[in-house]
Amino acid sequence: MAAWPHWLPLVVLAPLLGAVFTPVVSLRSRHVAPWWALAVMSATSVAALFLVLRVASEGPFSYLPGGWQPPYGIELRFDEFSAVISVICLIGWLAVLYSLRYTEWLREVPKQRIPYYYALLLLNLGGMIGFVVTGDLFNLFVFLEILSLSAYALVAFSGEHIAEMAAFKYLLMGAISSLLVLFSVGIIFGITGSLNMADVATRIGQLDSAAPAALALAMLAIGFMVKAAVFPVHIWLPDAHAIAPSPISAVLSGLVVKVGIIGLIRVYQIYYAAGVLDLHTLNQVLVWLGAISIVMGAFFAIFQDDIKLMLAYSTISNVGYIVMGLGLSTNFSVIGGSVHVFNHALIKATLFLAAGALIYRTGYRTLTDLRGIGRSMPLTCIAISIGAISIVGIPPTAGFLCKWYIALGAFEADQPFFGFALIFGALFIFIYYIRMVNAFYFQAPVHPEILEVAEAPLSMLAPTLLLASLCLIMGILGRIPLAFIEPAAARLLAPLGG
Amino acid sequence: MKKAFVAALLILTAMPLLIGVAALPPHGDPDTPVHTHISARYLEEGREEAGADNIVTGVLLNYRGLDTAGEVTVIFTALMAGLAVLISHKKQPEGDAAYDAAEAAAEDAPVRAPVSPVVSFVVRLLAPFIALFAVYVIVNGHVTPGGGFQGGAILGALFIALTIVLGRERTRTLMPRLAQPWMQGAALLTFVGVGIVGGALTGYFLGFPADASLHLARKLMMLVLEAGIGLGGAAVFATLFLQMEAE
Repeated sequence: MAAWPHWLPLVVLAPLLGAVFTPVVSLRSRHVAPWWALAVMSATSVAALFLVLRVASEGPFSYLPGGWQPPYGIELRFDEFSAVISVICLIGWLAVLYSLRYTEWLREVPKQRIPYYYALLLLNLGGMIGFVVTGDLFNLFVFLEILSLSAYALVAFSGEHIAEMAAFKYLLMGAISSLLVLFSVGIIFGITGSLNMADVATRIGQLDSAAPAALALAMLAIGFMVKAAVFPVHIWLPDAHAIAPSPISAVLSGLVVKVGIIGLIRVYQIYYAAGVLDLHTLNQVLVWLGAISIVMGAFFAIFQDDIKLMLAYSTISNVGYIVMGLGLSTNFSVIGGSVHVFNHALIKATLFLAAGALIYRTGYRTLTDLRGIGRSMPLTCIAISIGAISIVGIPPTAGFLCKWYIALGAFEADQPFFGFALIFGALFIFIYYIRMVNAFYFQAPVHPEILEVAEAPLSMLAPTLLLASLCLIMGILGRIPLAFIEPAAARLLAPLGG
Repeated sequence: MKKAFVAALLILTAMPLLIGVAALPPHGDPDTPVHTHISARYLEEGREEAGADNIVTGVLLNYRGLDTAGEVTVIFTALMAGLAVLISHKKQPEGDAAYDAAEAAAEDAPVRAPVSPVVSFVVRLLAPFIALFAVYVIVNGHVTPGGGFQGGAILGALFIALTIVLGRERTRTLMPRLAQPWMQGAALLTFVGVGIVGGALTGYFLGFPADASLHLARKLMMLVLEAGIGLGGAAVFATLFLQMEAE
C-alpha cells in the first residue's frame, strides 16, 4: 500500500477538494459540515501515514504531476522534513473535532458562517500540506497563498470586537511577506531560468554575479521570518493568535508559523547545495534574532494576564529556539530545531485547546478570573500542566530533548553564549507557567461560581488529553523522531563539509 | 523627524534592492537563462508536446497544471473568506422555502438605486454579445491569448452589470441555490476530474495523453478545464457581488 505512488498528490488534493465540497454537503443542514471535515481529514491522515512510512523505509521520493520530468514540470518532493504532515493531519483532525462544540458556542458568529469555517480550515490544512511536500518554488508560493488567505479569514472569524483589526494586521504583514517571496521567486527564475528547487540549486552555483542570488536569499529569509513570527517581524502574532477561535489558535500557533520554518529550511537546502554564497552572516543573524525572540517572547509572556495572549507570546519564544537551531547550523542544533517543529506543534496545540476549554466553560480568559479552576476542571488543568512542563523543557517531556540538542549545538558551534541564552529563556518560561499553575491550583477564586463549572464536553476534552499524553510519549520516545530526521539534517549540512 | 526617518529607511531598503536588480541578466537578451533553459523547450516542443497552439495555455494547463489548480483554489479560498466574514445575522435562512421567502422580502424593499434607461437599454442590448465574447475567449484560449480566467472575468462582470440593471430577482435564476456551491467550486472540481481522467490515461495525475490517436481527447480535456475555470471564476465574482449587495 505504501508504495502506491499517488498518495502524494492525494494527500494535497483531498483537503482542498473536501473544502470545495463543504458548502455542497451543507446545503441541507449546516450540521453536516464538521462531520464531513472530519471524514476528509481521516482520509488525508491515512494518505499521510503511508507517505511517512514510505519515507522512513526508502528515503525521499518524488511525484511528477502530468508526467513531465523536472525541471519542465512541477515536482512534488517528499523528504523527512515533509513528514511534518503527520502532525498537520493529527492536529487538524483534532481541531475539527474540537470545533464541533466550540463554533456553535461563539455567540457573535452568525450560524450560517459555520460551514465556511470548516471549508477554510480544510483549505488551510491542505495549503500547509501542499507547501511542505512541493519541490517547486512557484508551487510553494501558490500553496503559501492558499494557507495565508485562509488563515487571515479564520482569525477574523471569532467575531470578537478586535478580531477584524487583528486579522487585518496579520493580512498586511502577511501580504508583504508573500510579496517578498514572490519577488524572490521571480528573481531566481530570472537568473536561473528554472523553478525546480533541485535544479535551481545546481544552476545558482554557476552564475557570474552573486548579487541577485543574495538579494533573493535575503528576501526569502525575511518573507519566511514574517510567517514564522521571528523578532522583530513578530508584531502581528500576539493579537491574531489570541483572538482567533481556540482550535484555530492551536492550528495557527502549532502549525501555520512552522510553515515559515519549513520555508526557511527549503531556502537553506537550495543555498547550501548551491554553495555560491557564504551563509555565515545569515546564520549569525538568525541565531541572534532567535536568541532575542526567545528572551523577548518569554519576557512579555510573564506580564500577560490573558491566558491566550500569554500562549501566543510563548510561541514567539519557541520559534526563536527553532530559528536559533537552524542558524547554529551544526548537526545537533539542526536536528533539535527540526524536531522542535513537531514537538512544539503538539505542545502548543495541547495548551491552546485546554485554554479554549477553560474559556468555553467559564467565559473568562484571564489568569485572575480563572483562579481556582483546577478544582472544578481537573482533567483540563492536568493537560495544561503537562503542556507547561513540556514547553519549559523539563525531562521526560517532549520539549526537553529538542532544547537539549539545540543547546548542545550551541556548544558544538563554539558559541556557548547562546546555550546560556537558551537556558535563561527556559527559566523565564518556567516563571510564567508557574504563575499559571499557581493561579489554577493554589489561589483562592475571584469568582466563586468557577468552582461549580463542569469539565469540558468530551469532544473537547478528548483531543486535549490525547495531545497532552502525546507530549509525554514524545518525551519518552524522543529518540525516534531524532533518529528519523537525522539523515535529512545530514544531507542539508553535507555541502558545508561538516 | 519621523519623515526623515522614513525617508532614510526607504533609501536603505531600496539600495540593496536596486543593486540586486541591476545585476540581473539584461532584458530581451536571447542568451539569458530565462530564454535558454526550460522556456526553450516550451517554445520548441510545447505545441506538439502540450497540445496547445498558445504556448502560455500549454504551460498553464499542461506543464504546470498543478500550479493552476492551486491558483483556482486561491480564488475559491478568497470566496470562502469573503463569505465567512460577510454573512450577517439578519438573513441567509436555511431551506428552500425560507430562502425564497427571504428573497421575496428583499425584493419588496426598494433599496435599489434607479438606473438610467439608457444604461439599462445598452446593457441589455449588449448582454448576448458580451456573453458570446466570453465564451469565445474561453473556448479559444488554447489558440489565442485568453482562456478560462479571462473569459470567467468577462462572464462575472456581465452578471454584475445585469444584476445592477435588472435587479437580483431576475439574475438569481442564473444561480439557483442548489447549484451555487457546485458552480463556485467548478474550477477545482474540473481540475480534479480531468486530472483523474488524465491519470487513468497516462499514469500520472493531471497527465495529458501525448499519443496522436488520443489527440482529440487531449483537446477536449483542455476545453473542459478552460470551461471549468471560466464558470468557477464567474460564479465567485457573482457570489461576492450578491453577498455584498445583500448586506
